[in-house]
Amino acid sequence: MKRLLFLLRKEFRQIIRNPFMLRAIIGVPLMQMLILVPAVTFEIKRLDLAVTDNDRSSASRELISKLSGSSFFRTTAAPLNIATAESLLLSGDADMVLVIPDDFSEGLAGMTKPRLQVLIDAVNATQGMLAWSYLTSVVRDFNMDLVISQGGAPKVIPGISTAPRYWYNPTLNYKHFMLPGILVILIIAIGLMLAGLNLVKELETGTLEQINVTPVSKWEVIVSKVIPFFILGLFDLALGLTVGWIAFNIPFEGSILLFFACSAIFLVAVLGMALFFSTLVSNRQQYLFVAFFFTMVFILMSGIFTPAESMPLWAQQFNWINPVAYLMRINRMVMLKGAGFHEIARDIGMLSILALAFIILAIRAYRKRA
Amino acid sequence: MEKEKVIEVKDLVKRFGAFMANDRLTFDVYRGEIFGFLGANGAGKTTAMRILCGLSRPTSGRVTVAGIDASRRPEEIKKRIGYMSQRFSLYEDLTVRENIELYGGIYGMSMKVIIPRREALLDRLSFTQYGDMLIHALPLGLRQKLAFAVAVFHDPEIVFLDEPTSGVDPVTRRQFWEMIYETASHGITVFVTTHYMDEAEYCDRIAIMSEGQIAAIDSPSALRKQYGTASVEELFVKIARPQKSKT
Repeated sequence: MKRLLFLLRKEFRQIIRNPFMLRAIIGVPLMQMLILVPAVTFEIKRLDLAVTDNDRSSASRELISKLSGSSFFRTTAAPLNIATAESLLLSGDADMVLVIPDDFSEGLAGMTKPRLQVLIDAVNATQGMLAWSYLTSVVRDFNMDLVISQGGAPKVIPGISTAPRYWYNPTLNYKHFMLPGILVILIIAIGLMLAGLNLVKELETGTLEQINVTPVSKWEVIVSKVIPFFILGLFDLALGLTVGWIAFNIPFEGSILLFFACSAIFLVAVLGMALFFSTLVSNRQQYLFVAFFFTMVFILMSGIFTPAESMPLWAQQFNWINPVAYLMRINRMVMLKGAGFHEIARDIGMLSILALAFIILAIRAYRKRA
Repeated sequence: MEKEKVIEVKDLVKRFGAFMANDRLTFDVYRGEIFGFLGANGAGKTTAMRILCGLSRPTSGRVTVAGIDASRRPEEIKKRIGYMSQRFSLYEDLTVRENIELYGGIYGMSMKVIIPRREALLDRLSFTQYGDMLIHALPLGLRQKLAFAVAVFHDPEIVFLDEPTSGVDPVTRRQFWEMIYETASHGITVFVTTHYMDEAEYCDRIAIMSEGQIAAIDSPSALRKQYGTASVEELFVKIARPQKSKT
């Protein structure tokens, strides 16, 4: 036990003396919060719209101005023919093309059936779908105005009307959805990268061999690496949360204590994983590769961008051993929904089992032989 | 007087796949002696030493260090030995004092014991002015001496030195060997590997390894007499590489 204190003192001395470490501890949470949170968004604004207006009537101009007037579209080009329009779509200068046929105003006057053609760049399927639904809602508005202007009262369509109330994130603010997830990534960056690299560096420089030839036990080595990075991780979490709160006025519905307790369990799991990985590799390049690979898999499968519930069954089963998936869910539940212990008890339980398992795995895999 | 055996090795074999790194080594080391382990690179010196230190397990054979079986209780051995590896292994971002304190603590000493011993050690080595300097600011020679001092700080029964003087200038090597003598005079057994033949002359007994086997073992003077050579260097060339002269 006393040995552990000597080892811990050594770790803290090394951390304090390492200027890179200090910069990383302060810089990483600031960068992640201030850059990633506002940057990672699925909201679509200002789609580049190219309009080929073959009708050139007041009606077509009105439609165009209605489209550009919404915050979703920006009319960036008016190609004369469809071939030019297609090339704009291909080069990415336009996200969608609206073709107004030359009989558009005639159609509106009731002579033919009025039609519009829309071409959408659907490489990003989500964006394509959204662009389409934005456009149809603007056209529907346009229709309504038309009916009114022609003196007809807007018909009340009989039937069921629905009016949504968006709960837990009433303004549908994407930042509120992303920030709890970015905080999880922050913990991974500190836990998985810094702690693992620290142990592998000792392996590379040969100091670990010297430690291995002393009577220090395996658990003392592992715990002496876990504790300092555990403290750093929680410090960074607090820093990140504070920055998020100041910069984006993130609501915090649930208990901060519960939030930190869950993050602490997660951090132990991540540190266990980091130290386990570091026993499998022989240098820092290898470690970085392994850590990067697993980080990517764990994060993408965790449901940070896409709902984990709509993933294929095998992916959902994989998430049983994915600590990131648990904390991703817990953070959003606690921060946005104000969930208490009861609502997340199962996730906390699973996360605790994983944390314990990874630590035991790290201690067992550590060889005092080098 | 019967000499006390502090290391007993019988039929030690260490195999890495098809490669036989140690081929049936048998030797004893007595308490308080300076035992030199000589051999060309790849002769199996370091492999054998790592087994003696509990860093590696023998494939077969019996190895006893300080009365403890190296295959069964290597962790017990680690309490009783000191080790200085070929690769420099003090923490470069800690000061001289902090390194001594760390290793003292690891071997179970309290700060109360560590501090006076540490200051006495720094004084004896005339290192006091370097005490609060980071290791990476020290010249190599000083670092090596310090690494040795740290390896014996906890008064081990045996200290293992793996090519401790490689890359060090002749003056520092000389001083280093003075430290080794002093250590041995306090009853600490010194087990040292080297490929400097002049250093072999300083040892009480030497074992010359060749291709995983012990080719000769005795005191340097006895070996010189036996093989009729003027120096250990000639002796080494004669027995360590006999097949070289054939080809």
